[in-house]
Amino acid sequence: MTRWDAIIVGGGHNGLVCAAYLARAGRKVLVLERRHVLGGAAVSEELYPGFTFSVCSYVVSLLRPWIIRDLDLTRFGLQIIPLDCSFSPLPDGRSLARWSDAEATRREIAAFSQRDAERYPEFGKTMAQMARFVKPLIDSPAPDPWSLKPRNLADLWRTAGRMREMNDEQRRILTKMMTMSAADFLDEWFESDVLKAPMSVSGIIGTYLGVRSPGTAYVLLHHYMGEIDGAFRSWGFSKGGTGQVSEAIAAAARHYGADVRTETPIEKILVRDGRASGVVLENGDVFDARIVVSGVDPRLTFLGLVGSEHLPDEFVTQIERYKLRGSSGKVNLAVDRLPEFACRPGDGPHMRGDVAIAPSVAYLERAYDEAKYGAFSKRPYLNVVIPSVVDPSVAPPGKHVISCFVQYAPYNLAGGADRWPEQREAFGDTVVDTLAEYIPGLKESILFRQVLTPWDLEQDFGLTEGNIFHGELSLEQLAFQRPAPGWAHYRTPVDGLWMCGSGTHPGGGIMGASGALAARTLLGTKAV
Amino acid sequence: MSYDALVIGGGHNGLTTAALLGQAGRRVAVLEARPVLGGLAARDEFAPGFTTPGLLQDTTNLRGAVVEQLDLVKHGMRFADAEPNVFAPQRDGRGLVLSRNDVHMQAELDPVSQADTAAWLDWRASLGRLRPFVQRVLNEPPPDTAPGSIRGKWELARTGLALRRLGRRDMTELLRVGPMCVADWVGEWFETPLLKSLLAGPAVRGGWVGPWSPGTAANLLLHECSSGRSVASGPAGLVDALAATARAAGCELRTDARVSKVLVSAGWARGVELEDGETLHADVVAASCDPRTLLGLMPRGALALHLEEQLGAWRMRGTTAKLDLAWRGELRFRCRPDEVFERAHVGETLDDLERAYDPVKYGELPQRPHLEIHVPSIRAPYLATEGHQVVSILVHWVPLDVLGGWTDERRAELERAVLATLGEYVDDVAEHVVASRLLTPRDIERTYGLTGGQVQHGEHALDQLLHMRPNPSCSRYATPLAGLYLCGAGSHPGGGISCGPGQLAARAILEV
Repeated sequence: MTRWDAIIVGGGHNGLVCAAYLARAGRKVLVLERRHVLGGAAVSEELYPGFTFSVCSYVVSLLRPWIIRDLDLTRFGLQIIPLDCSFSPLPDGRSLARWSDAEATRREIAAFSQRDAERYPEFGKTMAQMARFVKPLIDSPAPDPWSLKPRNLADLWRTAGRMREMNDEQRRILTKMMTMSAADFLDEWFESDVLKAPMSVSGIIGTYLGVRSPGTAYVLLHHYMGEIDGAFRSWGFSKGGTGQVSEAIAAAARHYGADVRTETPIEKILVRDGRASGVVLENGDVFDARIVVSGVDPRLTFLGLVGSEHLPDEFVTQIERYKLRGSSGKVNLAVDRLPEFACRPGDGPHMRGDVAIAPSVAYLERAYDEAKYGAFSKRPYLNVVIPSVVDPSVAPPGKHVISCFVQYAPYNLAGGADRWPEQREAFGDTVVDTLAEYIPGLKESILFRQVLTPWDLEQDFGLTEGNIFHGELSLEQLAFQRPAPGWAHYRTPVDGLWMCGSGTHPGGGIMGASGALAARTLLGTKAV
Repeated sequence: MSYDALVIGGGHNGLTTAALLGQAGRRVAVLEARPVLGGLAARDEFAPGFTTPGLLQDTTNLRGAVVEQLDLVKHGMRFADAEPNVFAPQRDGRGLVLSRNDVHMQAELDPVSQADTAAWLDWRASLGRLRPFVQRVLNEPPPDTAPGSIRGKWELARTGLALRRLGRRDMTELLRVGPMCVADWVGEWFETPLLKSLLAGPAVRGGWVGPWSPGTAANLLLHECSSGRSVASGPAGLVDALAATARAAGCELRTDARVSKVLVSAGWARGVELEDGETLHADVVAASCDPRTLLGLMPRGALALHLEEQLGAWRMRGTTAKLDLAWRGELRFRCRPDEVFERAHVGETLDDLERAYDPVKYGELPQRPHLEIHVPSIRAPYLATEGHQVVSILVHWVPLDVLGGWTDERRAELERAVLATLGEYVDDVAEHVVASRLLTPRDIERTYGLTGGQVQHGEHALDQLLHMRPNPSCSRYATPLAGLYLCGAGSHPGGGISCGPGQLAARAILEV
């Protein structure tokens, strides 16, 4: 029987990236994916004849450029189409569009506030400076504030060095960004609610927090870190759907010799004499390996697949305390015509970006207030994209796909998460009703609708509590504390068992950094 | 007139600074705009025969070092013998008394949840391990972040070592807990909803945060690690002792002396001008008013433009109202009619607190506000007339400006909501209330000269603490303007009746 060097649990983008790096270094790697498609949450599926949906994750912004280069992903079919607009329609018929063209953006903002229009470019510049500081942190393992190992001390010294290079003002802003609420932070810069609301939402995506919750400001940075071809603040669609990102990575992994299998659900990670020795599939097959690397979230990995009996009590407590409360859902629509916004009728460049249904800060905060007590928002925040406008390959001619990211849909409904199946359609109706206020003909044009609640994300995609980031991106769960203090370097208390998913530093989004950094750590420590 | 130092504001912090400077032989005058000393700790007769010993009432965070250094006990201050217990009433159930005495706490918790009794002891033990470090942070000036400061690096290194001395587990725990929301933190330890709410109270009051807001766990940590005995006759008793100490040290304490501007020439603060035109000169001007009030006293351009802008953005959104009641008979809670309590916390669950917080974000009034009740007349009967009590209620999460403005109807609506909430736990409220006086955050702003009516002189949020309080350039009490110092709650370690800022500012002034 074959003994693999490494078995990767889960064929999401991080698992695939990790596999590709290990295979490229000559290791014998097996990737096991439970579903029939690769990609985890970065997946495309034809749910309705002729329409390709980016079922979960829908834009690519943070995929690390060095990973694209290292794995030569462009050669394996990765193609990113940049989005160059953020559009926010308002219920009163006005709207605001922000473009990659600075002058056009200035004119748009000036319609609401001359002062804000003047400050907007300055804000962008400041954010870019901050992003330059933060970026190296997401491209290397998190320094450990405790360890006195020379390499770790060198990491800490480098981080401190970047702090020293900043001036007082930059340091002050960074401190504020790391601790303030997105709404308070933006209040210091801008006066127009119409501008602040859609800007603030980047701080709450995937979190169980509101725009007024402290700690949400730093995520604003992510918007300025997305880079495609080195340009700051760029988002894009993957041509052919988000699944193409995963397909390209999988193709690279296979090219380097990895064995990537779908429809092979794992029952258990085998632990013998305190060491991970392989996995057992649901059908009883056993695969042996020198190491097992888990790409699924920490809760599922340790409490589901390993079992607490193999883990120290303190670590079990840490994993039980690890917070995963999912807060978002997804509604995917197939429509028979181009959607038309009441406030900007017809086709136009504003259709080629993302659309934020976020008319005011209070609207967003009220949406959160409802979620705090276990109900989905009656008027939710929506992030809508229509990829078929820029990528005709995903829908038949003249027809379109609409992807709505929805917040808040708290996993823990009052009365229990298992009430979601009976609430699913009501939730879908709320989303469609909300969007139809801005796109009057929407309801009549719908051919097909898919509603994904956090419950579905857990059941179908294996995301515990439906958390799209494998764990909340709150300050106490980041960097050296992700997923638990002392276990931030992809290592686990079980010898031979490693982590490479979003539940490890730097986590979240289609970055691929967790997978790549895990592989680098594995190879660097000669673990495999 | 010429002095060594002028202190703007005669609140507990201003008096602390003055007394310490006086003790060191400086010639000091304190300038208080109001007719009485004490600021938020001043006694106040709100109805004939009924006096509240301070707008703020919790004195448990008073720094022991200040009491010793100023020998306040010699000047008449006494600590209360009784434990500073807080009672949380319940509609169904016996309620819960939060006590610092582990034996009493065990007796309270055992019938409710034995798991929580065990967790309580563990939690207190874990706090006990963190306390020396947290107290060190509270009792020292914030780290000096000025680039190139050798001293700053030295202090930072020492703080770093103190942090390491906690050991890996406690150090990482401290770093983990700080940014958390208090609801999650107490949720990790305890199961009893009432206990969780009771513990979370001090972490969220005064700010624009609820128990589910990140960063509030740090507030609880700071509160728990600095909390001790309370002052016998309340804040006013402390103020009396501070004033007596300051006078004994030769300080001139002037009331009805409202400063209208700080005099600046050739890049130095040279003194102040009073509203009546009188000018006073000094080498040092120490401001215990809030940072934004100070900004209003400065001539344009005296502070660097960016500092003016940043202090202008200092967040002071008041959320505290006060309802003082002249109460016939004793305040008795339905769930424990046989006991009287000096302090009570109304809000049975974390969600109750969170729901009380929600409306303030939209300028609306809470339907069931969170109440922090003090009955100071139990220990100081002279505060009320015979057969009566003073019931002072801090009402939390009342907007500075309610939608539509503070009309008589809106004030009445708030008062009704408070009394109705109280009525859920106390029988026949209306029959007990002989007189009442409501202060909205706007009233507090006007009465006390406090921007936004924000009782902490700046919200306690992670970005407004330590070296960010109120700004990195003046967090160590000296401002960039020579001769001008900060000595109020807008500086580290912040609001509440601790006298910490006043003490650390005096130290900074004397070091020069």
